[in-house]
Amino acid sequence: MSKKINSSRRKFLAGSATVAGLAAATSVVPISVVNANHLEPGSKGLPDFIKWKKRSALIIHSGKTMESHRGAVGSSVITPIRHIYIRNNMPSMTDAQIGDRSKWKVKIEGVKNPKTFTLAQLKRMGQTTIATVLQCSGNGRGFFPHKPRGSQWRTGAAACVMWTGCPITTVVEACGGIASGTKYITATGVDHVPTGLDPKKATVERSLPKKAHKDAILAWEMNGVALPNAHGGPLRFIPPGYFGINNVKHLGKLAFTSGESSVKYMKSSYRISPIGKKGSQYPSCWEMPVKSYITSPLKSAKSGDVVISGVAFGGTKKVGKIKVSTDGGKTWNKAKFVGPNLGKYAWRQFVYKTNLKSGTYNIASKASAGGKSQPELRTENRRGYAHNGWFDHSLNIKIV
Amino acid sequence: MKLGLEVFNEKAACNACHVLKAAGSEGNVGPSLDSLNPSPTVEQVKDIVTHGLGVMPAFGEEGLLTNEEIDAVSIYVAKTAGK
Repeated sequence: MSKKINSSRRKFLAGSATVAGLAAATSVVPISVVNANHLEPGSKGLPDFIKWKKRSALIIHSGKTMESHRGAVGSSVITPIRHIYIRNNMPSMTDAQIGDRSKWKVKIEGVKNPKTFTLAQLKRMGQTTIATVLQCSGNGRGFFPHKPRGSQWRTGAAACVMWTGCPITTVVEACGGIASGTKYITATGVDHVPTGLDPKKATVERSLPKKAHKDAILAWEMNGVALPNAHGGPLRFIPPGYFGINNVKHLGKLAFTSGESSVKYMKSSYRISPIGKKGSQYPSCWEMPVKSYITSPLKSAKSGDVVISGVAFGGTKKVGKIKVSTDGGKTWNKAKFVGPNLGKYAWRQFVYKTNLKSGTYNIASKASAGGKSQPELRTENRRGYAHNGWFDHSLNIKIV
Repeated sequence: MKLGLEVFNEKAACNACHVLKAAGSEGNVGPSLDSLNPSPTVEQVKDIVTHGLGVMPAFGEEGLLTNEEIDAVSIYVAKTAGK
C-alpha cells in the first residue's frame, strides 16, 4: 500500500523547528504562535480570568484561546486542571455576574412537568462522577493543509477530566419524564451577550440527539474542585463523548426539543462540510471519532530502552486497540493500555516499550474503536474540524 | 483612515468586541487587535471582515458593509493593529 505524502507536511517537517513557518505561510488571523510559548521573548502572561493556571503548560493563541503543550496532559490519565486548555466563545462569566452560586438556576423544558431547579436543589437530588475527554472540535486544525481560519490548535485543545454532578436521567425523572415528539436535547448557556451583539449569533446553544442525555450530567465540580468560571461554572452540561462545544458552559436551560436550535452556533457553525461548501445540511460536530497521540518522548531520548507513551480514546465508543510505529507507519506494533480504565468516555494511557539505536525516527500511534481505525490522513473539511489522522500527529525524534 | 475609524466605531461596531487603542475601543469578545503579532495585512483583515469567524459576523457576505466600507476599515485596522 503506497503512502500518500502530504506535501505541506514535508514543509512542516523541513521548517518545523518552531511553528514560525506556519505563521508566515498562513493567510488566517496572524496570531503569533511563536510568541505564545512562555519561553519566547515578548511572550504574554496569563489573562486575569485564568491567573491560577500554569503559564508554562500553555501556549497562548489569544485572550480566550490557549492550548496545552503536547506533554502537559501528563501520564496519569486525568489532566491537571492548571494545564487544561481554554477555549471560550464569549467572555467567561464573573463572580459578580453569577452571584450566589447555590441559587444558580437551570430551567428544564420539553418534559412532562417543566421545572426550574437551583444548584442547591440539584445537589440534593443526586450525584455521580464521570471521566470524559474534553476536546475542542478544532483540535488539530493547525495540521490542515488548506489553512482554515480559526485557532491553529495542534494537540493541545484536549484534556481528560473528572466531572461531578447530577445525572440528567435523575432530573428528567423529577420532571415526570421526557415529553413525546421530542428528538433532541438542547442546552443553552446564559453567559451575558455583550451589548450590540445579536443574541441569535452570540448565544451558545447546542442540540444533540436525544440519546446523548442517557449518560450526561449537569456538572458543578471539575477534578475535585468547584467548577471554575473559566470552564463554565457554576454549572455545565456534560454529554460524554461529544465535542467540546456541546459541553455548554454556564448552563441556564436544558430542553428536549423536536428540532435543532436555530442559533448560529448550531445552524451554521460547527458543521463538517467539504472545502468550499457550507450549510446546515452538513453533519454537526457531535460524537468524537477515535483518536490517539504520543505525548512522550516529544523530541529526543537516550539510545537503548525507550518507553513511548501517549493517550487514546474512542469518543462515545470504548477504545479497543492501540498500535505504535517507529518507522513512519511502515510497520505497526501492538502497544499496551496501562493504568486505570475510567470508562469508555475517558482516554487510556498507552505504552510501547522498545529498544532504539542512535538515529532519527518518525513515531506514530494508531487507535481503533467500534471497528474503526484512525485514518492515515485527515477527513478534509472546510473549517478544519475533527482531525484524527495518525500521520499529522506523528513525531520526529532523535535517539542519541 | 477617517472613514475606517467611523466604520470601526459606528456602522460595524467593531469596538463592541475588540480592543484597539487607536480607536479607543475596549471590547472583550474577540481577540485584542493590539495584541496581534505580527500586524495583519490589509488582505488578512479584509478576509475576516468579509467572511466572519465564529461569532464575528460576515460583514461582506451578509451585506452589512459596502465594499468601500470594508476596504476602509481593513486599511484602518491593518495600519493600527498590532502596533
